Amino acid sequence: MSGDGPGAAGTRALERLVGFGRQLRARGLPVGTGRILVFCRAAAALAGGGGLDRDSLYWAGRVTMVARREHLAAYDEAFRAWFPDAKDQMLATVGEWVPKTELPPEIEVVLEEGFQEESWRPPSPEEGGEEALVGVLASNAEVLRTKSFTELTDDELRAAHAVIRSLALELPTRHARRWRPSPYGRRFDQRRTLRASLRTQGEPFRRAWRDRRRKPRPLVLVLDVSGSMSTYSRALMQFGYAAIRAGRQVEVFCFGTRLTRVTRALRVGEPDRAMREVAAKVSDWDGGTRIGASLKELLDRYGQHAFLRGSVLVLCSDGLERGDPELLGVQMARLGRLAHRLVWVNPLKGSPRYQPLARGMTAALPHVDRFLPGHNLASLEALCESLG
Amino acid sequence: MPAGEGAGPGALPVASVEELVTALREHAYLADHGLATAIWLALALDKPLLLEGEAGVGKTEVAKVLAELLGRRLVRLQCYEGIDASQALYEWDYSRQLIAVRAAQLGEQGVGDLFGPEFLVERPLLAAVRAGADAVLLIDELDRADDEFEAFLLEVLSEFAVTIPEIGRVDAAHPPAVVITSNRTRELHDALKRRCLFHWIDHPSVEREVEIMRVRAPEVSETLARQVAAAVARLRAMDVAKRPGVAETIDWSKALSFLGAVHLEPETAAATLGALLKDHDDLQLVRGRLDQVLEDL
Repeated sequence: MSGDGPGAAGTRALERLVGFGRQLRARGLPVGTGRILVFCRAAAALAGGGGLDRDSLYWAGRVTMVARREHLAAYDEAFRAWFPDAKDQMLATVGEWVPKTELPPEIEVVLEEGFQEESWRPPSPEEGGEEALVGVLASNAEVLRTKSFTELTDDELRAAHAVIRSLALELPTRHARRWRPSPYGRRFDQRRTLRASLRTQGEPFRRAWRDRRRKPRPLVLVLDVSGSMSTYSRALMQFGYAAIRAGRQVEVFCFGTRLTRVTRALRVGEPDRAMREVAAKVSDWDGGTRIGASLKELLDRYGQHAFLRGSVLVLCSDGLERGDPELLGVQMARLGRLAHRLVWVNPLKGSPRYQPLARGMTAALPHVDRFLPGHNLASLEALCESLG
Repeated sequence: MPAGEGAGPGALPVASVEELVTALREHAYLADHGLATAIWLALALDKPLLLEGEAGVGKTEVAKVLAELLGRRLVRLQCYEGIDASQALYEWDYSRQLIAVRAAQLGEQGVGDLFGPEFLVERPLLAAVRAGADAVLLIDELDRADDEFEAFLLEVLSEFAVTIPEIGRVDAAHPPAVVITSNRTRELHDALKRRCLFHWIDHPSVEREVEIMRVRAPEVSETLARQVAAAVARLRAMDVAKRPGVAETIDWSKALSFLGAVHLEPETAAATLGALLKDHDDLQLVRGRLDQVLEDL
């Protein structure tokens, strides 16, 4: 191509292309100057000196200026708005002005005008939403923290859920199979010592040590969803949801009179949707709670699975067992042997007058490592701390 | 980044996107217009191509076919948690070095150059830099590696030069073609994405999947392929935790065809469903609604 620079038609076409990049940016896509440049080069390469069809231009832009799947819909819309016509005059002239490999300096000036790549950050709508919620929360944070979940309004509950999801969950760790170098490690690292000794004529001046990598233990949530317990369990489910999203090994079960695994539903969708699904499955809301039988089902079906053994198991229930308390005691003992740590969250404990006198509770308590209330945000924070 | 000096579309064996589609088809890879454009632009503009998409949509295959098509060597770097520079770039062969040191001490031979090329173990990235334009570098499942490794990779990708303190600088006269794949178990850094062309590979349309089956599993009858593709499309729309990829579709059609099926029947379908779905819960879910999946195919 000639180095004469674009003519009048070319300049207009260029402005269209650059304008499209800016349009994307205006719609919230993180499109920097660099990307717009690459887009122009791509359009030029595809045109190969001739014209360009609209479809190719679409792909040139999509491949060069979109970097996330979530942005594809926004891109499509912007493209339709900016290049509505397949017989666009601009398309025919693209190849005439764009040099194949480099853009003339004046175009770079056009591109640089008025915006800087690094300082610009698009406001993401979801983030905005979360921030707004947290904003509401900050104004009356203390009230919200100490109010029981059952006393919160819907809006407050949503805000509380957002906070729960953001709680940093620190799980205790266990040794993994693989080794990593560590100056305070307990094992001698022959390999690295030898390697270092080669720099000193084979004399091992520097000794290297290694240690096992540590992995967070799996978290298992077993949530009572019968009657009044569902509000508390819903809060804990946010917990499980966040942990799954953080890539942790998490299993979530719900129970009333029988046990349902909801890990899958949580992995696929939102916690509230999972909760509705559970509600559909647990038909006997007023049938009472059979904790012992549900735990037995958990142990019989999943006792051999890797996620129970050595896990941190959090059981949320009021402990009002309708079944046989003795069965509950036996199952808790089994669980206690299998899990690394057994935490019982009982919202009733939030009341100062509460005493664990129910027969189910007394049967279970000897096997429980931690007994916590978990009826409001503050106590969930405490739960979070006690897990690590 | 120096803009594709010398390369440009002219240096490519395929002059246009259409030619690339045809060439890919000859190597039994059916790419749609979008994917072909992405690959072609990556070659023409000398940019790494970042492919994302669910497992089994043929991301890794792109690099393999591309290497075949261009007549280049495929250099594969499989990422995993904890991968580091010594596994990706180069490593010294310390046992051989040690033997050389001992031999020298015994006076049997001179020490020579302990950090010479003969003691260097070449890992994929160094191999790719050395091979330059004769290689296609596949960085597979980058999302599995740690953030630190990604930062390191970014450095290599922007320079295509490796400095080995004991030997010196190795750089590629012309960078290799680079294909990066990610299953999106975590989001990659924007800095890395900015250097790449990005393409999201979706599950193929029913027609395309039929075509793919016809090419990849010629023994499967046309009717069966059509029914399988339609059933799989319905299944993907269902609430399964692990949606089957193209590879699974091909496996399933092969399994059905091996059992002598010409049409998709409920009994054989149920018996072979394990080729398609690998999750116990998914299997149960689909078995329960098999009539719905196979209805009016």
